[in-house]
Amino acid sequence: MLFNSVVFLFAFLPVTYVVFWTLKSANSRYVWLTVTGYVFYGYWNWHFCFLMAFSTLVSYLAGLGFLRWDNSPRRRKYCLWIPIIVDLSLLGFFKYANFAMGTASGIAGWFGSDLQVPRLDIILPIGISFYTFHTISYIVDSYRRAIRPTRNFFEFSAYVSLFSQLIAGPIVRFRQIEEDLARIGTHDRTRWLWRGLSFFAVGLVEKVIIADTLAAFVDPALASYASLSTAGAWLAMLGYTFQIYFDFSGYSSMAVGLGYLFGLRIPQNFNSPYKALDPSDFWRRWHISLSSCLRDYVYIPLGGNRRGEWRAYCNLLFTMLVGGLWHGASWTFVVWGAYHGLLLAVHRRFAAKWDALPAPLKQPLMFLFVIVGWVFFRAADFTMAVTILRAMFLPTSGVLVPQPYLVLFVLLVAGWWSMAGPNVFDMRHSFTPRQRAIATVAFAVSLALIMGTRNSPFLYFQF
Amino acid sequence: MRIGETLGLVVLFAFSVEAACRVEDWVQFRTPILARERSQLDLLVRDATGMHGRAGGRFQKWSLNAFGMRGPDVTSAKPQGIVRIVTAGASETFGLYESPGHEYPRQLEDSLNGQFAKCGQIGAQVLNAAMPGMSLPTIDQDVRLRVSALKPDFVVLYATPAAYLEDAVPSAARPDSVAGHPAPLPMANAFFPRVAERIRVQLKSLIPTVVQDEIRRRQIRTTLLQHPPNWRFESVPAERVAAFQSDLRRAIGAIRAIGATPILVTHANRFAGSSVRDVATLRMWEKFYPRASGQTIVAFDSAARFATIAVARDSQTIVVDLPPILARSGKSVFADYAHFTDAGAALVAGSVTRSILDAERSHLPAACASGVSVSSRSVAPAASLAAR
Repeated sequence: MLFNSVVFLFAFLPVTYVVFWTLKSANSRYVWLTVTGYVFYGYWNWHFCFLMAFSTLVSYLAGLGFLRWDNSPRRRKYCLWIPIIVDLSLLGFFKYANFAMGTASGIAGWFGSDLQVPRLDIILPIGISFYTFHTISYIVDSYRRAIRPTRNFFEFSAYVSLFSQLIAGPIVRFRQIEEDLARIGTHDRTRWLWRGLSFFAVGLVEKVIIADTLAAFVDPALASYASLSTAGAWLAMLGYTFQIYFDFSGYSSMAVGLGYLFGLRIPQNFNSPYKALDPSDFWRRWHISLSSCLRDYVYIPLGGNRRGEWRAYCNLLFTMLVGGLWHGASWTFVVWGAYHGLLLAVHRRFAAKWDALPAPLKQPLMFLFVIVGWVFFRAADFTMAVTILRAMFLPTSGVLVPQPYLVLFVLLVAGWWSMAGPNVFDMRHSFTPRQRAIATVAFAVSLALIMGTRNSPFLYFQF
Repeated sequence: MRIGETLGLVVLFAFSVEAACRVEDWVQFRTPILARERSQLDLLVRDATGMHGRAGGRFQKWSLNAFGMRGPDVTSAKPQGIVRIVTAGASETFGLYESPGHEYPRQLEDSLNGQFAKCGQIGAQVLNAAMPGMSLPTIDQDVRLRVSALKPDFVVLYATPAAYLEDAVPSAARPDSVAGHPAPLPMANAFFPRVAERIRVQLKSLIPTVVQDEIRRRQIRTTLLQHPPNWRFESVPAERVAAFQSDLRRAIGAIRAIGATPILVTHANRFAGSSVRDVATLRMWEKFYPRASGQTIVAFDSAARFATIAVARDSQTIVVDLPPILARSGKSVFADYAHFTDAGAALVAGSVTRSILDAERSHLPAACASGVSVSSRSVAPAASLAAR
């Protein structure tokens, strides 16, 4: 089910909201959030509900294990590694099995072998990367005693299957939401209501009006990438750069807004990343929940920057490779991760020189680096990536994107908003008559577009 | 909030929704902001030249040219060196589910032009004369009264056999006006809220498939109750197959009479050759032809396929036998019981391209016919152009 679908807006959400606030006890609300999470997830493919339930149960039992064997380091290690291995095995099978076998075939081919590994007919369960990270972060934080595991199964299952963050994040850690979950039975319904609606409306505008409008031109242009001219390639990649931002940021804004509607404060996931002045700044602003997870669960355990400069560079590179692979089972994602790892390492090495550059130069330069990275992220294969990069940086004749003037107009709006305007957390969510009128128009336009031809899924669903 | 402000916001909301629908239609499909077509039915006219598309009609993704044919504008006179092809048929040819520009006639044009470009030929022009609901007698009439003026080289005929399972055997559409031009749609139509159609579609999509199927089942039952018990065709009615065959021969004659080469395409459906029945989808088809059971419709379609091949053999006409091609493809080619997806339309276009190139072989360099992405086995030419 999509946030930007009629069934969600006019059936699922109202029913979930009304029943939630009709229920009084914390436990009944946990149960209700669990049930609605599974309905939300099962609307796509109910078979995979069992997978999520299994993952939830294993992590919950591990949490109970931490409580029971508080003074037994050996058993605590079992409680740490068994569920992590289970979770990563599921993720590995469903997301990376074909990638691994394809890579094995490719490597065998280099050595002259004609090893043909059959491709498995596997459907990637939607959102598996997100809820796997939810459960793993819970287990690791429990092990580190950063949180106290819950004994209430439904509290935990409500956390894992919370529909607002279930299939495309943000990756909310239990410790970030623990307090709100614990007080779920005593929340004041009206306290966050208008703020939640406002966040949701802003997210809807980001997704439906900006991201999907750009997608209508970018997708066909990139589908015939070989025929793009230099200007066409730049327009298409600029379009994609803003499309992916407004798509994912829109989803995150809606997720935060939905959280507020149920009294749960979901943390910020995007902080105007295209305002970033350097690679580290970018990763403090882009997909914050993922980058902080990678920092806390990969980079720091590897030693971070505590073991010398070169080790820090290697750690950065490895962490970003994991980040790239997390996004998808493809070498283009790996290269995208490596590219950002290199950017981070090079910036770390030459930080003083970079910082000496004037800010009006740093922001566009950083933006340019980001666009180049998106080429690998978007490309289906390296042929596509190289063709687009060649068209961007070498004079190439060809075609423009369809309706280039409209695209330029949307790009200007998107560019202003993302690079100079306020993000959803910067906005004042008060409701003056003028703001009410603007919100009404924005919601009406979004709704008209949703009911038309634009009921498109969010880009991050595929991860 | 005061009542006045609330009312103001409601009006603003309604105005914004409607304005957004119209602007989106314009941006996506170039539909005029004040277009008068309210539904797909408004694209259809009946005048002194029979039943055909409305000149310049625009509704959602469907855009008709000055001849009332789906596709870009063309001149009446055929440009020098161009091979002109007219595609005739009903909704399958007109295109219902394909994304704009991906209905089979447009893909046929792309495919032919791609082939012709290889060998330095000028190109092909495909005019899509099909409209939903056109039966063979109406196509015959359209060929004689309108298509003849366009001087096509080929007419590709993809008839809908199921039309012969209606209450009565199809006949040529009667003009509802003797005027040369159809009456324009009322100006009031331009102000009909377009959001209403979007809401209708959304509400329908919210109804679970099971419930939709049950509604259709009841509608069929109600229709049956209004007729005598033996009204329904429980097996393939031979006289209807004969009528289909006879009308097909007449249509071929009409096409040849205007100096064009007919190409027949046998009708394909989702269920042919499959033992697995998607009951809900079959019932969608049955709802349109309640006089026949679902099984009978499928069997009739199959009988019509063999009848088409027989007619092609007798009349030395080129025929593209589509069902085996689509069945072999392994792709998702049908969006419902018989209408194509983009991929399905591409296969049809590829198959017809091959048959046209075969027919034109004597006039074209060999390079033209190479590399069409459809196996030559998929086309069964009952006769070549030379044999005619």
